[in-house]
Amino acid sequence: MTLRSTISAKPQVWATALAIAVAVALLAYVFGRGGYVVTVMGFAVIYGVFVTGLNLFMGYAGQASFGQNAFAALGGYGTAVLCADYGLEPIVALVLSATLSAVIALIVGYPTLRLRGHYLAMATFALGLITYELSIEQSGLTRGFMGFSGIPPLGLGRFQLLSERAQLAVFILIMLLGVWVARRLRGSRFGRALLAIGESEPAANALGIQVFRYKLVAFVIAAVYASVAGSMFAHFVGYISPEVFGLSMVTLSFTMLYVGGIGTLWGPIAGAVLVSFLPQLLRGFRDMQDIIYCLALIVILIFVPKGLASLWSLAVRRSDVPAER
Amino acid sequence: MIDTSIILQAVIDGAGVGLIYGLVGIGYCVIYNATGIVNFAQGVFVMLGGMLTYTLLTSLGLPMIVAVAIAIPLVGVVGVVIEWFIVKPMLVRNSPMFAIILATLAVQIMIERITIMTAGDQPRTFHEFTAGGPLRLGPVAVGYQLIWVLVCSVGLVLLLTLFFKYTRIGNAVRACAQNRDAAALLGIPVARMLAVSFALSAALGAIAGILITPSQYTAFNVGVPFGVSGFIAAIVGGFGSASGAFVGGIVLGVAQAVAIIIFGAGYKTVAALAVLLLVLLLFPSGLLGKRSEK
Amino acid sequence: MTLLSVSNLTKSFGGIVANDSVSFDLNEGDIYAVIGPNGAGKTTLFNLISGVLRPTSGSVQYAGRDITGLAQADIAALGVVRTYQLVQLFRQRTVEENVQIGFHLATRGGVGAALFRPGWVRRQERMVREKSRELLRLVGLESQAGLVADKLPYGQQRLLKIARAMAAGPKLLMLDEPAAGLDTQETSVLGDVIQRINDQGITIVLIEHDMNLVMRMATRITVLDFGKKIAEGTPVEVKVNPAVLAAYLGEAELE
Ligand SMILES: Nc1ncnc2c1ncn2[C@@H]1O[C@H](COP(=O)(O)OP(=O)(O)O)[C@@H](O)[C@H]1O
Ligand SMILES: [Mg+2]
Repeated sequence: MTLRSTISAKPQVWATALAIAVAVALLAYVFGRGGYVVTVMGFAVIYGVFVTGLNLFMGYAGQASFGQNAFAALGGYGTAVLCADYGLEPIVALVLSATLSAVIALIVGYPTLRLRGHYLAMATFALGLITYELSIEQSGLTRGFMGFSGIPPLGLGRFQLLSERAQLAVFILIMLLGVWVARRLRGSRFGRALLAIGESEPAANALGIQVFRYKLVAFVIAAVYASVAGSMFAHFVGYISPEVFGLSMVTLSFTMLYVGGIGTLWGPIAGAVLVSFLPQLLRGFRDMQDIIYCLALIVILIFVPKGLASLWSLAVRRSDVPAER
Repeated sequence: MIDTSIILQAVIDGAGVGLIYGLVGIGYCVIYNATGIVNFAQGVFVMLGGMLTYTLLTSLGLPMIVAVAIAIPLVGVVGVVIEWFIVKPMLVRNSPMFAIILATLAVQIMIERITIMTAGDQPRTFHEFTAGGPLRLGPVAVGYQLIWVLVCSVGLVLLLTLFFKYTRIGNAVRACAQNRDAAALLGIPVARMLAVSFALSAALGAIAGILITPSQYTAFNVGVPFGVSGFIAAIVGGFGSASGAFVGGIVLGVAQAVAIIIFGAGYKTVAALAVLLLVLLLFPSGLLGKRSEK
Repeated sequence: MTLLSVSNLTKSFGGIVANDSVSFDLNEGDIYAVIGPNGAGKTTLFNLISGVLRPTSGSVQYAGRDITGLAQADIAALGVVRTYQLVQLFRQRTVEENVQIGFHLATRGGVGAALFRPGWVRRQERMVREKSRELLRLVGLESQAGLVADKLPYGQQRLLKIARAMAAGPKLLMLDEPAAGLDTQETSVLGDVIQRINDQGITIVLIEHDMNLVMRMATRITVLDFGKKIAEGTPVEVKVNPAVLAAYLGEAELE
């Protein structure tokens, strides 16, 4: 028993060490090189936060939301308006926007989460469309389709993170916090209940899990992650527009989730980094970017629905199968 | 205070748009009944219907009737292609429901981008089917195009009903809807029937797009709003019957028209979502629905 | 001491009377079997007791308290826990996780507890880990703890279901056809597990078709036929009851 667990722990350890080494090397390269690589990494980290939240709701609780971009837009515009127009502290703006996102998630989730499947899918989809339309229409608040510029970088009091490198460093900390929260949730009674719901609602219900309530809470948490990601984006670029939080954000984030491995802790982050850096390799295809993403997503959905994580578990689990079977 | 005649006019025009939503909504039901999936790319058929007709009218200078006769089957073919290359492989692999929805959504974005690259991102429109009008009925005006919409919608519902009741293919599609495995055992070519349902549904969407373009416009991105509204119309109507989808569509169209007058154009989809959430809260199986929700 | 008392329990579905004025008492420490042909109303009886269905009339007393018509979760919280014929395991989760999820009702804590892990949460988590191991040992699955539940053979999946139900901390455990589809070897393991659970002082109600198992284990038996109780008694009494023999005529299972 002990012998077997030490043997089967080995590949796990090696794979983890390798993953950490790759991450460190990537970060060293990014911070050393500077310039546009920092920008790309910044987007990757922002999306990392976004998809970690989405993963709680989809990967763990097994539910589908096609309108997380709405909450990112709320976070982005909340931060833009509150910081640029009202001079609020970034952290205050971020928390206020996230609170608003949570409230809206409650209002939309309450009637739809009782019903299964497509109703929530479509209601969230509609929510994404609404924020898009409103962000164009309410130009007094959002500056319309021209976009909102002049958003200050992240900071606290008189201290501002003026360089992209410094912002990226803080973003990485925020993302790690996000992953830590997801990890804590995953290993708790709450997380086990979500996993149970994701696998079989009747069975979860029979064990006394209040399916509806747990789904609703997971939806709200995912909305908060999305909102924080939106706020981060606004600070990082200093400019947002309705297009930024448009429909392609939905497919892009799903691509990351599926590339990295839905339902795993680090998979979504790996997916976010990979999918963010990939287009840098295919620079020539600018106009085709969305098409390529979508095509890749479709191929993954059909042929490798578990993403990179299936490679990981191949590496790790090989020797984990008990000898007697 | 807003003039009552403005409200009345909005109700009339809203009802007209609502019929279009109804058509799109029926498109969802046709596919859902045959495959059990919701095709998020439904709105794209509406866009393609309008765009293709516009292109055929302007670049080839074809007469309207010919353009329409080419555009509708072409969009139907797009539907079959989606079914063949994406939906069927996923059904075969037992992919989860939201993965299939996601794939159809990705198709929608791909088609939108291709449309931008080939036809540009500018809104397009073309002339009404019949010149002249509008008819004046007291304080409100009824455009000829609205009458076209009404006549075509009613006609299509009649045709669909006859198709499902009296043709062999129609019956076969209905059999697939009830139980795909049993249908296969009866020797019905299930795969072909799924393709039929996609073709039918795409054609319905295209017709909706062609009907609405003269009174509004079409552009690469009109698909999503029409898709969302059409789906909400279908749910409000109980997700099953054609007449239900029309009732749902009209309720939705009127609610949107009134919301636009009161709050402004940006609140069109807010109104639609509000209608959806209210209906789900008050009548979980739709206004006319009998089936319990799935 | 009487633990559960069912009196005149009736349930009709439209025209079908699935339970027709069924009454019986069971004592603490019993292994009580409910038998009868398919469609006799056994599962319905379980549904009425556990709060899945509301009775048309009649009442259920548990530990001296009227629990008729209470919600499923409330009844489970009082210690009446059941397994279902059709409810599945969490197939993609490990064996251990399946049992841990079963502790849901017996534990507390939501998002806040998960994030900040105060002392009581850490103790609770340790308790959950230790007790799940204990339960896995009880049903003989401790060496498969890390395996995905789907990979277990059929008989062991059934044992896992029982361990998962045990996690809720039942005083009264209701098992619906636990031996269905198992071979003799697996059934005999199952019988041992049920016996061990009973030895811990947990009262058991069992719906079962396997007469060998019932005759071996049950302290008392109620026989249902067409929703009516047609006999009650010890295995020996039931075996020779002419009404029972008539009901089972042609099924030959009683021999
Ligand atoms: N929810 C229900 N609705 C309608 N009829 C039911 C329902 N549950 C059980 N029945 C009917 O009640 C009768 C008893 O069923 P059941 O309790 O499942 O029998 P058993 O478990 O003894 O095989 C059957 O005729 C069954 O069809
Ligand atoms: Mg039964």
